[in-house]
Amino acid sequence: MKNSLFAKTFAALILSSFLVLSAGTANAKRLTAAVADWTGGELTCQVAVAILEEELGYRVDRIEFASGTGLWEAIAAGDIDFACESWPSYAEADDVMINMNLVYDGEVVKEYSGDGSVDAYTSGIIGMSDYYVPKYFVDANPDFKDWSDLNKFKDQFATPETGSKGRLIGCPVAGWNCHDQKRLDLLGIDFEASELGTEVAALAEAQGAYDRGEAFLLYLWEPHFFFGKNEMVGVKLPAYKYCDSFTEANNWQDCGTAAWPATGWDKDYTMNYMNPEVMSRPENAEAVAFFKKMAFSNTDQAKMLVRVGDDGLSVEEAVAEWKNSTDEWKAWLP
Amino acid sequence: MALTQDTSLLSSKSSTQSLIIPGLIFAAILASIWLAFQGEDVSEFPVFITDAFTFTAWVNAGEDFLKDNIKVYTRMVAGYVKDLYWMLEDFLLDSSWVFIAALLLIPSLAFGGIKLGFLVLFGTMYWGMVGLWDSAMETLALMGLSVFLSVAVGVILGIFCALSDRFERNMKPALDIMQVMPAFVYLIPAMFFFGIGGAPAILATMIYSMPPIIRLTNLGIRQVPNETVETATAFGSSKSQILFKVQIPLALPSIMMGVNQTIMMALALVVLATFIGAQGLGSDIWVSIKKLEVGAALEGGICVLLMAIMFDRFGKAASRETVTLPSDSQKFYLLPQTWDIYPIARQVEKPLQLIHFAFAFVFSSVIRIFSFILNSVISLFNKDYGSAIAQFINAHYFFFSGLLILIGIIYYDANVAAIGTFPDAWNLSIREEISAGVKSLVVNDTFISITKTIRSTVVIYLLRPFDFYLTYLPYWFTIGALVLISWKSVGIRFAIITAILLAFIGACNIWTEAMITLSSVLISVLLCFVIGVPIGILASYSKRFQNINEVILDAMQTLPYFCYLVPVLMFFGGGAFSALLATIIYSIPPIIRLTVLGLSQVSSTYSEVSKSFGGTTIQTLNKIKFPLAVPSLVMGFNQTVMMAFAMQIVTPLIGGKGLGLEVFNGLARSDTGRALAAGIGICLLAMIIDRISLAWTKKQRDALGL
Repeated sequence: MKNSLFAKTFAALILSSFLVLSAGTANAKRLTAAVADWTGGELTCQVAVAILEEELGYRVDRIEFASGTGLWEAIAAGDIDFACESWPSYAEADDVMINMNLVYDGEVVKEYSGDGSVDAYTSGIIGMSDYYVPKYFVDANPDFKDWSDLNKFKDQFATPETGSKGRLIGCPVAGWNCHDQKRLDLLGIDFEASELGTEVAALAEAQGAYDRGEAFLLYLWEPHFFFGKNEMVGVKLPAYKYCDSFTEANNWQDCGTAAWPATGWDKDYTMNYMNPEVMSRPENAEAVAFFKKMAFSNTDQAKMLVRVGDDGLSVEEAVAEWKNSTDEWKAWLP
Repeated sequence: MALTQDTSLLSSKSSTQSLIIPGLIFAAILASIWLAFQGEDVSEFPVFITDAFTFTAWVNAGEDFLKDNIKVYTRMVAGYVKDLYWMLEDFLLDSSWVFIAALLLIPSLAFGGIKLGFLVLFGTMYWGMVGLWDSAMETLALMGLSVFLSVAVGVILGIFCALSDRFERNMKPALDIMQVMPAFVYLIPAMFFFGIGGAPAILATMIYSMPPIIRLTNLGIRQVPNETVETATAFGSSKSQILFKVQIPLALPSIMMGVNQTIMMALALVVLATFIGAQGLGSDIWVSIKKLEVGAALEGGICVLLMAIMFDRFGKAASRETVTLPSDSQKFYLLPQTWDIYPIARQVEKPLQLIHFAFAFVFSSVIRIFSFILNSVISLFNKDYGSAIAQFINAHYFFFSGLLILIGIIYYDANVAAIGTFPDAWNLSIREEISAGVKSLVVNDTFISITKTIRSTVVIYLLRPFDFYLTYLPYWFTIGALVLISWKSVGIRFAIITAILLAFIGACNIWTEAMITLSSVLISVLLCFVIGVPIGILASYSKRFQNINEVILDAMQTLPYFCYLVPVLMFFGGGAFSALLATIIYSIPPIIRLTVLGLSQVSSTYSEVSKSFGGTTIQTLNKIKFPLAVPSLVMGFNQTVMMAFAMQIVTPLIGGKGLGLEVFNGLARSDTGRALAAGIGICLLAMIIDRISLAWTKKQRDALGL
C-alpha cells in the first residue's frame, strides 16, 4: 500500500513538472538535416549547415542518421529535409528516386529518371574507389608493381577462410554493387573477396592487420579518414570503361575484361539530396540556390579529415577553422 | 532404490529396440554424407516452384497498398507518441543534472537502501563523468517511455490471456514471432509509417520487448491456486474484485519479473534505434564504432549497462517484501546480512547505522515541524482535516523530505545559481587507456598466434565441413529428417506443420541461406554447450565463482554487442568465425545459468544418499545430479538456441552469412518482401527447433516423474 501510494505521488510530481515546460518557438527558415555517420560525410554536411546557419539565416536541426536506404525513404517521406554527400555508386535508391540531371561544373554527369521523390545536386566531392595495400608491403617487396603482381604474392594474403587463395577485404555492403569477385575473376586475380557487411568490420580487420604489419588487400575509397592514420598504396586497376550491357536487368552479363567491372571505378560525383516539396517553398529558395552552387573540394575535405582524425578537433571546429581561412565558400552564396 | 529400479525397467524395455534405432540413425547419417558428396552444387528448390511462388512481390504490393492507405492513421499514432517522448526528453534535458540525479537516487534509497543508493549514484555520476550526460538522458527518455508503454499494454494483454484460453492460444504464435522476428525487418518499413526518431523507435521497441510481460502476467495470474479464487468467490467477491484484489496482487512477483525482462530487452534495442534516427547513447556508440574508437564505444556501452543494472535492481528491490530480522541482530545497510556473525562487519556497519539514525532524526524533525505548521494553519478552518493531513505527512516523512529536497534543488537552480548540465571539469574518461590496451593486444604476438590458431581450427574443422554438409545435402533429405524428428518428438500434427514451414522457406528460394543459418546456429550452440556446461558445474559448486559469474553474464547480455565487435574483429578478422564468436558471447548466458539452477535445485537428500552409499563427487554428479538436472539443461539449451537465432540478424554486420545477410540485402535495395521472407525464414527455423526441444524437456520431466 505504502509503496503504491509513493509511486503514484511520484508520477504525479513528474507529470506536473512537464506542465511547466514551454513549447519551442516557431521559425519559418527551419530545416532538418541528416548528418552522415562517416567523418567525410559529416564534414561535408557541417560545411553546408554552417553556411546555411551563419550566412543565410536558417536554423538547421541535425539528426545523426546511419546512411542507407532508410535515409532516402525518410527524405522522400518528408521527415528529413536534406542529407549530404551520397555516393551514386553505392546508393541504389538514386535510380529509383531522382528524376533530374546531375550537373557538375556546368556539365551533365549523370541522367536520372526515377519517380522524382528526391532532388539532388552535386556536393563537389568526387569519390574514387580502388584496392589498396599497405605501403610497408610495397617497400618490403620491390617486385610488387600493380594489381597484375598480386598472384605472385597471394600466399602472404591467404587466410584460413580463403585456403590457397588470397583474401580481399572487399566492398563490405552487398547493396553497394562493387562486384569484387567478378572483377577479380575477370582480371585473373586468384583472390577471394570477403564481404564483411559493414565498413566498420572491414576497417577494423584492416586496422588490426596494419598494426601487426601483415599484408592485406583492402577495398577503400578516397577521401577517407583511414588514409590519415595509415599509409596505403593503390594497386592501379585498369581505367574505368563504361559497358552498356552490364545491368542488373540482364543479370550482370559481363563485357569481358574490356570494361566494368574488370576495370576500376568511375568517378563518383557525390550529391546532396533533398525533399523537392520542402525545397520548393519560397522561404527555402535561397537554400536551393546555395546547394546548386556548392562545390566543396576533395583537397579541403582531406585536410579537414587529418585535422579531425589526428589533431583531435571536433567536426564543427574543423569546419569553422576552414571557413575562417578561405573565401572559397563565398562563391557558393546565392 | 526406487530410482535404480526405474532406470533398470526403462533399459530392459528398450533393450530390443536399442540396437535398431541407433543403427537406423547411424545409417541415415552415413547416407546423408554420401548424398552431400554427390551434389555438384548447393541444393536448391526446383526453379518451377520458386518462380511460381512470388511471395516477395506479394509483400511489396501489400506494402504499397498500406503506404497509400493507412499512413495517415499511423502518423497520427506516431504523433501522440512523439509528443509524449519530446515532453519527457525536454524535461530530462532541461532540468539541472543534480535534480535528475536526486530524482533517481531518492526512490532508490527508499526501496533498495544504501546499497542501491550507491549503485545509482555511481551510475549517474558515470554518465556525467564520461561526458555522455545528455545522451544518457535521451536514452533514459526513450527507454522509460518504451518500458512504460510496454508494461501498460502488456499487462492488459496478459490479463486477457489469463482470462480467455482462446485468446491465449491465438496470442502464443504472435508472441513467438514478435520475439524472434529480427527487429531490422520492421525497423526500416516502420519509418515510412511512423516517421523517424523517437516515435518509431519506441513502437519497434514495444513490439520486441512486450512478449515477456504478457507471458509472465498470464503465467502469474494462472498460477494463483484455485482454492484461493474459490474462497474469494465463497465470500461473495465479484469477478472484477477477484481479479484486482486477489489474482493480480498474488501475480505481482511474476509481473515484476516480466517488467525486468522487458527492461533488459528494451535496452538491447538502444543501438538499433540509431538506424532510424533515434538519438542517445546508441548513436554515440555507433559513431565511435564507425571511427574504430574502441574506448569511446565501450564507455557508451558501460553507460547502457549501468542503466540496465539500475533499472533491474530497482525493480527487484521495489517488488521484494521487507525482511523482518530477529530483534537481537543488527540491521546491515551495506554488507550482506549473513555477515552479522562477524564482529568486524558489525563494526563497519555501526557508523552507517548512526548516520542513518541521524539523517532519519533530522528529516523526521523537519517534516514534523512542517506538518505542525500546516496542521495549525488548516486547523483554523477544520480541525479533523488538519490533523489528518499532518498525520499522513508524518507517516510518509521519507517521501515528503524527498519532495522537499527536490523542490529545494529546483528553487536553488532557478533563484540562487543555475546548476545547468554536468560540469566538464569532473571528466574522468578512460577511453584512451582502453583503446591503448586493445591496441597492445592487437600487436601482441603470443595473443595473436593463439587467436589465429583458434580461428583456423574452427574454420577448417567445424565451420566449413558443416556448411558444406548442410548446403549440399539434398533439400528433400533435410526436410524428411526434420519432419521425422518432429513427428517422433512432438506429434503428427506438428510434423505436417514442419513440412509446410520448410516448404515455404524452399519456395521463397532461400534454402541455401537457411541452411547456412542453421549450420551457424547449431555450431554456436554446440560450442556454447561445450564451454557453458563446465562453467555452470563449477559455479554450482563454488559460491564465490558463481557471484563473479553472475556479474559477467549480466554484462554479456546487456552490454550492446556493437561495443565488443570491433576488438573481436581486430583480433580475429571479419567473417564467419567472428560471427560465430559474437553469437557465442551473446547466447551462452542461459545455458550457464540454467546448468547452475538445475544442479543446485537437485535436492540435497539425493546427493547425501549417494554419498552415504560411497559415491564419489564425480559419481554423484554423473549418476544423480545430471539426470535430474536434464530438464533444466534442455531449457537452457532451448533459450540458447533462440538467442543464437536472434543473433543471426546482427552477424552480417561483421561478415556473417545466411538469412541475416539476405535481410540486409533486401533492405539495402528497398525490397521489403525479400527482407521479410528471410526474416520469416529465421523465425520458422527457430520455431521448429524450439518446439522440438520443448517436447524433449517435457518427455524428460515425465520420465523422471517431475
